[in-house]
Amino acid sequence: MTVGPVARDAATARFFDGTAAGQFLLRRCPAGHFSEPPAVACTTCASAELGWAPAAGGATLVSWTVVWGRSSSDAGPERTVLVIGELDEGPWWWSQLAGADPASLAVGQRLRIEFRRGTDDHEAVPVFALA
Amino acid sequence: MIVGLGMTALGKVYDRTPADFAADAVRRAVADAGLQLADVDGLLTSSGVTGGISVDLQRDLGVADLRLLSHLQSYGATAATMVQVAALAVASGAASVVACVFADSPLRPGTSAGAAYGTRAGSPVGWWGLLGASGVVGTNPLYALAARRHMARFGTTTEQFGHIAVAQRGWAALNPDAQQRQPITLADHQSSRWIAEPLRLLDCCLVSNGGIAVIVTTAERAGGLPQPPVHVLGWAQSHPGHYLRRHPDFGLVTGAAMAGPAALGMAGVALTDVDVVQLYDCYTFTVLVTLEDYGFCGKGEGGPFVASGVLGPDGKLRLNTGGGQLSGYYLWGMTPVAEAIIQARGQGGERQADRHDIVLVSGNGGVLDHHATLVLGSAAGAS
Ligand SMILES: [Zn+2]
Repeated sequence: MTVGPVARDAATARFFDGTAAGQFLLRRCPAGHFSEPPAVACTTCASAELGWAPAAGGATLVSWTVVWGRSSSDAGPERTVLVIGELDEGPWWWSQLAGADPASLAVGQRLRIEFRRGTDDHEAVPVFALA
Repeated sequence: MIVGLGMTALGKVYDRTPADFAADAVRRAVADAGLQLADVDGLLTSSGVTGGISVDLQRDLGVADLRLLSHLQSYGATAATMVQVAALAVASGAASVVACVFADSPLRPGTSAGAAYGTRAGSPVGWWGLLGASGVVGTNPLYALAARRHMARFGTTTEQFGHIAVAQRGWAALNPDAQQRQPITLADHQSSRWIAEPLRLLDCCLVSNGGIAVIVTTAERAGGLPQPPVHVLGWAQSHPGHYLRRHPDFGLVTGAAMAGPAALGMAGVALTDVDVVQLYDCYTFTVLVTLEDYGFCGKGEGGPFVASGVLGPDGKLRLNTGGGQLSGYYLWGMTPVAEAIIQARGQGGERQADRHDIVLVSGNGGVLDHHATLVLGSAAGAS
């Protein structure tokens, strides 16, 4: 499993500071509601006063797909498992699932967030693994 | 009401820009309506993945002194939305003859359909770059995640998706404008390669070049024009607003559940009055979940419903009678709108539905994020 390159911009700088330190940062409003990292207003109460708060790293499987590439070698097409994970704090996140047999997946399975880098000079990308 | 329909050459038509297709489509629609370009006083434009269309189309067409001009974008819901806006404009007197156009030109000689839609320009930066770096590229995996959720919740199967693909290919065989007309079987569907499980190649729409335009005008202006007028009886939109965000209904219930009943209510008709149905079919799954949300079957019963023999030229449901975007051609929301007009007029040739007084049309944009419904009617349907 590989992740691709990505560079930070102003909107993602704080988030990638987090991934570099092994943290998945969520947005949190003054009332304590969590929203997904790109949110600019609370998805529960619409407050625009959002801070950052680290997720604990646990999640459950909402849905999954196996993306098939074109056959490019004798090994057959490259396959990538993508999932929606529901973080224990509530928000959903879309990324790869590392090291899992897709035939064994079921809604509600426990996941945890890990971090991978495309190359050393790119940002760390959150992925899921089976807990 | 809709008095003109213009369709350019569709499919693997190369070396023409989206703006060229758009201007061609508008000219054809005006001619079809028995009008002159100078009669057009409203223009609504929309573009696909390759962009290239804007309000500059006015200049390309050489039409002066427009009273309504705008570029709209709600992705696959845009076409039905343009018809809605045009109907509102002519009803209010803001304009009297409104052309609505969509065109796209993603296919290039020697490139695959996937390459035409799967790539993302520019270096990966920010949230959008992070999504791509995570492996989430293009719409195929996002719809696959939606379809998988429906399967996991309701027991829907890939074979049931296959019934939709087979049925629409059966209709496409009767449509000379369709890109894929050779019959397929359920076995062909089941042996087609995975794109993003649970979606196979034959669950996915085509990629097409071309343009389609329609002309909307008032009832008074429609009198004496050559084509059978198609009445715009009802419309509604629904935009749930949870793209790439926690959404308990993701893959289970779409905006169609609100927009469908609202549009039928505006038209003053019931689902049982509908003679012909044209549903946005970027994927087979989209058809299945829209049938549920419009109420053709219960929630979660879409799989058994589509496998029950109701679909295809031999079934009783006149659904996606031109082959849709799966087998006909992929011009976003204009595919179902154009086929609805053809059917309401009674000009479907071999594929014409016997009864075509009330036609229900859907548009769907994003990943089930934008829905627009139209209820169209023949003269008899409007009375
Ligand atoms: Zn809040």
